[in-house]
Order: sequence, then structure tokens, then C-alpha cells
Amino acid sequence: MKIDLHKKNYLKALLLISLASPALGLCGEVGTALKADTLRLTPFADAKTVGSLNKNDAVDILAKKGAWLQVKTKKSTGWVRLLSVKRGGVSSSNQVKGLADVASGRAGTGKVVSTTGIRGLSAEELKTAQFNETEMKKLESYTLTPKDGQKFATAGGLTTTPLAYFKGAQ
Amino acid sequence: MHKLLIGLMVSASLFSTQSVAFDFGKALEDAAKQKIEEVKSGSGAANTEQAKTPAETEATKSATESGATVVPDEKAFNWKNPSTAEEIALGREITGSILGAAPLVKDDKLQQYVNKVGRWVASQSERADLPWKFGVIESSDLNAFAAPGGYVLITKGLYQQLNNEAQLAGILGHEIAHIVQKHQLKVLQKQQLVNIGAGLITDKLSKGNKLAQKAIGSGAEISARSLDKEAEYEADRMGVVLAVRAGYDAFGLPEVLQEIGQTNKTDNSVALLFKTHPHPDERLTKLGDSAGNKLDNLKAGKTLENRFYKLTK
Ligand SMILES: [Zn+2]
Repeated sequence: MKIDLHKKNYLKALLLISLASPALGLCGEVGTALKADTLRLTPFADAKTVGSLNKNDAVDILAKKGAWLQVKTKKSTGWVRLLSVKRGGVSSSNQVKGLADVASGRAGTGKVVSTTGIRGLSAEELKTAQFNETEMKKLESYTLTPKDGQKFATAGGLTTTPLAYFKGAQ
Repeated sequence: MHKLLIGLMVSASLFSTQSVAFDFGKALEDAAKQKIEEVKSGSGAANTEQAKTPAETEATKSATESGATVVPDEKAFNWKNPSTAEEIALGREITGSILGAAPLVKDDKLQQYVNKVGRWVASQSERADLPWKFGVIESSDLNAFAAPGGYVLITKGLYQQLNNEAQLAGILGHEIAHIVQKHQLKVLQKQQLVNIGAGLITDKLSKGNKLAQKAIGSGAEISARSLDKEAEYEADRMGVVLAVRAGYDAFGLPEVLQEIGQTNKTDNSVALLFKTHPHPDERLTKLGDSAGNKLDNLKAGKTLENRFYKLTK
């Protein structure tokens, strides 16, 4: 019994950690507010307001939980919707990459294109491209049935969730 | 906005010089810019959607009445109302041309994996019955392409930026949405009806096996063109929803947009993507505005990084 209880607590602790942990490479990074938004005490829309963000405010990203990020500004710390914050500094556009990227060796991906052997795909190339039947046949050979997709989903423990499309904001 | 743009394209091209070299793409761009300015300054019609519909109908009507109307013929491509088979034939032409510029990555396991994820996400859409096909192409660019009838390609460069299956599902979801909403097909349809109406192509030219090629020039050209922004925002919204319906974490697509957003604007690897799509920052902002609280209380979706097929660089 004792062991079970321990196990339970351990699992609970694990769960808590995984709920608010760097599931994204985001945490430990700097971010920028994409728009003005409210900072809340907990990651819920009806939670108490603890501060606010102005567009282009710099933040430190502390944690992620579901649709929310915990961020620290110069004045306060609180939770804000993930979609209100972008990674990186305001005009950094790649000059400053996050620590997580540096650590994982991902820094600089997609930046260097002049290296030999790497090919891009320009508008010009697309305009003059010729149909390639061999490659098309190959692509067609990979076609799967809905049943194949279902099997793959089941294997990964994926279950469907009903959700209606949402409309564009006014 | 989408409808509106096409309406403008149709009327703009009909009322200008009927030179064979008329640049439809440019006309579309100019019309779009003008319209955006109008909307911004508030001088546009109050209800643009309704205001444009009659004009559009008128233009289409005159296009088909001006002499070169397609005579009922089994072999003629029905541009007014293409069948699913015709849509697929068109998509095959476009996709085959893209493959001519950038072949599939020679990795069966990768291609099979992407088809499994894509097939499952597409099954959550309103067009689950299409013969969906997915492929990763040899290009260091960050980009993905959709063509009518269920063809989706993603570049190796973009694939290598991904960390888990939910992110792949989100990217594929965006492309699947373009196909479900027939975004590219509608652009091609309108253009063809104008071309036929203006006598730029005759019904004879639009017939036969080479129908798609004749109609669209080099098939892949459409993929280098931009849709209107609203179509892109719609594809983002639908892509997120499709991934959620499939059981994935909702933030796969936003995470990828976050990542791409950090790429320098002048970097060649995003030149085409940034030319054809709004900047990722804008896309994230729009997505956030339209999602509101709708993603707050979802059951936890999966990211499945463990089974994500990793591609060595
Ligand atoms: Zn798109």
C-alpha cells in the first residue's frame, strides 16, 4: 500500500511537471508581444488580472501550459495566451536565437543557403518546371486508404476530438 | 475578400486592353493592393462580399457570352463546374511540374510516414474521400504546396525544422484546408473563364488530354503565386482545427510559424514562402484573434515526438 501511495504521488508530481514544463523549446527564451493582452494569475481566461502587455513588449518565457505561456515582463509575471507572443526579440528576426536552439544545435537552421549542394526552389524555377511522370508515379505509389490512416492513428493512441472551424476575427 | 479579389481580377482584365500578353497576375496584385487600401481607408463598399457578387456574376456571364463559350463536349474541361476527376487531373499536372523542379526525397520510410499523418488529418476534413497524396521534396527552402484534388508537398528544409508529429499535422492541415476550400482551383477557374471570354484561348485549345497544360501554362506557376491573405488565414484556422480533430496538440502549426518567424526576411530559404504568404507574425496574430478562447479547454492533444520520423541533415 505504501508503495502504491508513493507511486501515486510520484505520478502526480510527474504530471504537474509535465503540465507546466518546456514541452516547447520556448521556455527560457525571450519573446515579444504580438498584441496588447492581459496577464493573468493562472492559465485561465477568467483568472485574476495581474498585469498587461503592450504590443512589442519584451518578455521572458518561463513555462507553457496548454494554450498559455507564463511570461515575465519588467513589471510583472503572469499567464498570457500563447498566440499573443512570438519568439525572439522585437526586430531581431533571427539575430537573436533562443538558448534552447543553441543548446539543441538548431541555431542557424535555414539560414545558410549558399552552401554547395543545397537547393532552393524559386518562383522562376516553378514557372519553367517540366512535368516529371516518373516522380509523379512514385508519389502516387504512396497513396493510402482511410483505413490505413485509422490504423496509424490507433497505433499512436490518437483519438478524434470534435471541434468546429472558427471564423476569422473582425 | 477572396471572392472580391477574383471579381476584381475578372473585371479588371475585361475592361483593359485585350492584349495576349495581358498580365493577369499583375492585375490581380494591383487590384488587391487598391482594394486593401480602400478597405483600410474605409472607402470600400460597406458589405464588400455582397457588393461584389453581382459584378462578378456579370463579368463571368459576359465572359461566357462573348463568343468563345465552350460548346458542350465530353472532352472539354468544364471550367465552370469541374468534376472531382477534372480537379484531380489539374492537381496532378501542377504537382508533377513541381516534382520536375524538385524531386521526392529518396526515403521510402519518410514518404510513407508523411502519407500516414496526412491521410489521417485529411480524414477529419469534409473531403475525406479524395485520394490524398503527400510527399517530401528535395529542397532546402522552407515551404509547402497544395494542388487541387488532394496533392500536398512539403520541402525537406521545412520538414527538418519540425520536432514532432503534431507540428507536421499542423502544416499538412494548412495545405489540406487549401484543397478543401478549393482556393487554387477557384483562381484557375476564374482565370480560364476570362481567358476564354477574352478570346485568349479558344474552346479547342481548352480541350483534349493536354487540357491542364494548355490551360495553366507551366503547371507549377500557380504555386509561385499568392492567394489573397484571407485564404491563408482561413487555411491556418482550419489547419489547427483539423489537427485538433485528429487528436493532436493544437499548437503544432503555431509552433512552426514561431520557428519560421525567426528566419531573417532576407534569407533565400523563405523568399518564396514570404512572397506567397503573410509574415508568420501576422499569421500568428490573426490566428490568436480568431481563436479567442476556443482552444482553452480542449482535451490534451498528442505531440508524438517519439514516433516522429527524424531526417538526418
Ligand atoms: Zn497557404
